[in-house]
Amino acid sequence: MSPTLDAIRECLEGAVPAVIATCAPDGTPNVAYLSQVEYVDSVHVALSFQFFNKTRENILANPQARLLLTHPATAQMYRMSLEYLRTETAGPLFERMKAKLAGIASHTGMSGVFRLLGADIYRLLTIEQLSAQPLPAPAPRLSLLSALRVAVEKLNACSDLASLLEQTLDCLATEFDIPQALLLMADVGRERLYTVASRGYENSGVGAEIGYGEGVIGVAARERTPIRIGHMTAEYSYGRAIREAAARGGLAERLESEIPLPGLPESRSQLAVPILARGHLLGVLYVESPQDLRFSYDDEDALVVLAAQLGLHMCALQEAAETPEPAPDSDPARAPAQGRRATVRYYAENSSVFLDGDYLIKGVAGSILWTLLQDYVNGGRASFTNRELRVDPRIRLPDLSDNLEARLILLERRLVERDACVRIEKTGRGRFRLAVSRPLELISTGAD
Amino acid sequence: MPSVTEFRLDAELAGFVTGGVTVIAASRDAGNCPNLVRARGCRVSPDGRRVTVFLDGPQSTSLLADWRANGRVAVVFTRPSTHRSVQLKGRDAAIEPLAEGDHAIVARYRDLLAEELATIGYGHGFTAALLAADHDALVALSFTPEAAFSQTPGPGAGAPLTR
Repeated sequence: MSPTLDAIRECLEGAVPAVIATCAPDGTPNVAYLSQVEYVDSVHVALSFQFFNKTRENILANPQARLLLTHPATAQMYRMSLEYLRTETAGPLFERMKAKLAGIASHTGMSGVFRLLGADIYRLLTIEQLSAQPLPAPAPRLSLLSALRVAVEKLNACSDLASLLEQTLDCLATEFDIPQALLLMADVGRERLYTVASRGYENSGVGAEIGYGEGVIGVAARERTPIRIGHMTAEYSYGRAIREAAARGGLAERLESEIPLPGLPESRSQLAVPILARGHLLGVLYVESPQDLRFSYDDEDALVVLAAQLGLHMCALQEAAETPEPAPDSDPARAPAQGRRATVRYYAENSSVFLDGDYLIKGVAGSILWTLLQDYVNGGRASFTNRELRVDPRIRLPDLSDNLEARLILLERRLVERDACVRIEKTGRGRFRLAVSRPLELISTGAD
Repeated sequence: MPSVTEFRLDAELAGFVTGGVTVIAASRDAGNCPNLVRARGCRVSPDGRRVTVFLDGPQSTSLLADWRANGRVAVVFTRPSTHRSVQLKGRDAAIEPLAEGDHAIVARYRDLLAEELATIGYGHGFTAALLAADHDALVALSFTPEAAFSQTPGPGAGAPLTR
């Protein structure tokens, strides 16, 4: 029985480069190494088109091609018969290959030489396993299916967004052996992502932002497709993307750069998976590793499924959070604010909030904080519900699907990380209270 | 039809194609459908006009039929650590019995490639598995190179080498 393409996807990872044979119309065969073979589905692959070379000339005239693939661990070889169908020059598949090629180019010293001109799509006709004396296949590092099962069960048990985010990161570390991860939520109106939780870094980076299309994470969001890179590449480093954006931009970008995205200094493998639900982009799950080729096609499959589960739970919990529980019988008595007065400065230009001169937060989370503080200082209110924030005209939520609960989590965490004299404490589903430990002076700059 | 010319390998190029390089040979059938197989080493005639590559017979069955039918062959030689790559093409490929000393060439080739692949992280066991072939199953394929092309990755790939 000949193997299926899905069963030999490891051979496409490029650890041992694939070789392609083609034939000119005059009957002259040609053989060349390929930079990249991308799995499209069980009966299609895409090959990178980088130069107008003999292979390219041949397949346009004679669409028959054959690949020689080698398993990177066992050395088992396979021959694949293909028929060239078409070339794509934009879209998710193209972007996936472009990102991966940037990693391959950097790894092989070919940065600046390799540039993806197109993704050549081929139909798979046959796979032939060659007679061989292969090495035994190494045992898998873990069972991805059982890791996924445990993770899905744990996510099912989460009753609020904050624990859902934490549980996801816990499961990545404990079940999938992926200690470095970020969860970013989409700010759809601004086409940006903001970090709401992270694991495995010195600084949490909560509140750090990145634009759609910037780096591995931004491209995954813009194209709504997983982006996976097996080698270090400066081209897709989000650190670089952010530095460049900051160098270009004005105040808003400089503020974003005040909360740096966490990242491994020598990240060699990266995988960004969009979190989608009901046709909407909710965010991005990002993992990385200092090892080359750490994440396989199977890892990608597993995290796509995990992200799909995560997306459905996010939707369900968001709806629940905006149907508040009844208020507790009595608010616990709060300690009176005391000590030195703290100055809270608000800039309406970008809804940024500074506490005693230190940058705290901006954007929607900034206007939420400012609104809460105004009600607290001017009206003596400390208890709030998500539902009233949703309809508060002062907050201007960008989109009905915007995840208000995620904004509150971000705000709550930023306040804790900045050791602020203002805290947000949950008091039940869809409700929370403001805890203020020092007297506050509110100063607003610009049109409010 | 281009005039039949010969490409003579100089000592440097002969040293390259018989060194620690990967060797992949291609054929095509009557319908111009291509095929390819990994070779187990190479020898070059003393005058540089004839190139012989060694193949595992069971892995090459359909390619051997192609060469018997039309003799059209392309072979690419690549040094993995530098990406230097050269392709030779011919139209008179012929299957020959192994000559005396060929088994020694195949064994030496395995050592050379193992050394080369070790520099990019592959153990000797991997190379041995990659090149494994039964002693009696080896066949020799000889051809007269008519043209040679640089295939080193980049925009210059495909440029003909001058003699």
